[in-house]
Amino acid sequence: MGGTRFIGVFLSRLLVEEGHQVTLFTRGKSPITQQLPGESDEDYAKFSSKVHILLFSRCYLKSDLLPHFETDAVDPKSRHKGKLETESLLESKDVNWTSIRPVYIYGPLNYNPVEEWFFHRLKAGRPIPIPSSGIQITQLGHVKDLAKAFVQVLCNEKASKQVFNISGKKYVTFDGLARACAKAGGFPEPEIIHYNPKEFDFGKKKAFPFRDQHFFASIDKAKSELGWKPEFDLVGGLADSYNLDFGRGTFRKEADFSTDDMILGKTLVLQS
Amino acid sequence: MFFVVKVKAIAAEKKKVLVVNTNSGGHAIIGFYFAKELLGCGHEVTVMTVGEETSDKMKKPPFNRFSEIVSGGGRTVWGDPADIGKVLEGAEFDAVLDNNGKDLDTVRPVADWAKSCGVKQFLFISSAGIYKPTDEPPHVEGDVVKADAGHVGVEKYISEIFGSWSVFRPQYMIGSGNNKDCEEWFFDRIVRGRPVPIPGSGMQLTNISHARDLSSMLALAVTNPSAASGNIFNCVSDRAVTLDGMAKLCAQAAGCPVEIVHYDPKAVGVDAKKAFPFRNMHFYAEPRAAKEILGWQGTTNLPEDLKERFDEYVKIGRDKKPMKFEIDDKILEALKVPVAV
Repeated sequence: MGGTRFIGVFLSRLLVEEGHQVTLFTRGKSPITQQLPGESDEDYAKFSSKVHILLFSRCYLKSDLLPHFETDAVDPKSRHKGKLETESLLESKDVNWTSIRPVYIYGPLNYNPVEEWFFHRLKAGRPIPIPSSGIQITQLGHVKDLAKAFVQVLCNEKASKQVFNISGKKYVTFDGLARACAKAGGFPEPEIIHYNPKEFDFGKKKAFPFRDQHFFASIDKAKSELGWKPEFDLVGGLADSYNLDFGRGTFRKEADFSTDDMILGKTLVLQS
Repeated sequence: MFFVVKVKAIAAEKKKVLVVNTNSGGHAIIGFYFAKELLGCGHEVTVMTVGEETSDKMKKPPFNRFSEIVSGGGRTVWGDPADIGKVLEGAEFDAVLDNNGKDLDTVRPVADWAKSCGVKQFLFISSAGIYKPTDEPPHVEGDVVKADAGHVGVEKYISEIFGSWSVFRPQYMIGSGNNKDCEEWFFDRIVRGRPVPIPGSGMQLTNISHARDLSSMLALAVTNPSAASGNIFNCVSDRAVTLDGMAKLCAQAAGCPVEIVHYDPKAVGVDAKKAFPFRNMHFYAEPRAAKEILGWQGTTNLPEDLKERFDEYVKIGRDKKPMKFEIDDKILEALKVPVAV
């Protein structure tokens, strides 16, 4: 993991010298390979040519034409911009790399509150507040399927210097995701409340775990070129996450319903 | 080495293909493009259009351009599918495409006749509208369909009586020669500086494909029947567009600004089906089977294709045609949106 900042920088060289296959797994926030002080150009080139870099990125420019394909325009303003610069830097250095674009990842031990956000509300028997129409389409990919894709990438020459979207085989609407989480956790069908996010000021808090837009990508390229395909369907994957994590009483972030209460308070007032 | 030679031989084989074509509606254009594509590849094509050659319906596109099929070497005839044996007496075909029937009563006579005279491959234009609505788009081949849909009965019947059969489920189409308005609905409003009323949020996704993509998929099935056999294919391009997106792309193609107005059909008191030409919900399928099984690739590029469509729209003078927008006016009145006179 990592291998691009401190200990890993030195460790990866030792491993390569010993003849190991080294893969650097990075979000691209620091320069991927850097020449060490005192390291000759020749040694650096030998090292660079032997590592394989797996780069995570997620940065498509918003579009009315969907799904996103790997060839689509990327968003220059994305906070993942560093990753794109990294991709072009890697191209120029003749290093072996593959870029993976995973959309939203889920599964047991998820450090990003994606499914957990829904599970907290379902467990508390609370309505699920979803912005705007609820028909925005997103896409979740199970972490175990993502891991399998990485393995395929490392074993496959075809993956070299390529970009792949890796995620679930079907997409899901926001409303549909609330229902899928309920099914996965054995909860009754949830009450969904839609609201106009423009009518609220949530300050720094995130009222919903997804961007309020369509965001999903085609995995056709990975399927046809890597021979990879996702094993989990959405409800099955969410059940896996629930049964191995949230359902056992574990989660990463405590429930915080403050933004929910702002929304519910206002909508209750409107209805009365 | 031998295998490569064999494949090439199959690809070069000339076929005799019959298209039974509807005389109206959104699907009519499919038969027109398909016939011309097959003729271009050297196959023999007969197009049998439902009804009579002298019918008023034949004055509309694509029928008023059937001379292009004839000059391409094709044969055009007219008749009732129920009497197809009489209409096509003596003719023999390798493959038949039914681009007409929406239920078994209409298609059965064609299917039975084709079977009885030794047609090997039967292709049917069904509809992506038979998929059951889902929380998990897109509609993918194999997904649950509405059991009572007329097309479903046809799909089942042809799969039972033909050794080589394929089903194609299309959505909306654009292309020169279209019988039914698609992009024109947006152009009509945009060129007249009128707001474009879109029901719901405008985020609904739909497939609007160029007819040439549908035609190329069908042609691949004809040239590669063993691969196509026994399969259902979503007959759509590989990108969907939002309803708002379609309005914006049409405006870009026209070089005009666009004002989109969203409304709730129930609240305003209009029938959404009459007010708007697309379904007021996600209606989104992907052509995964065609890509995987036939090696098909889509070429629809809405931003570019709509420019061509707009050029034709202006060429035929439709931008100057006087029009009434009664339902639009009702919607805009209810929303108190001003319209420039």
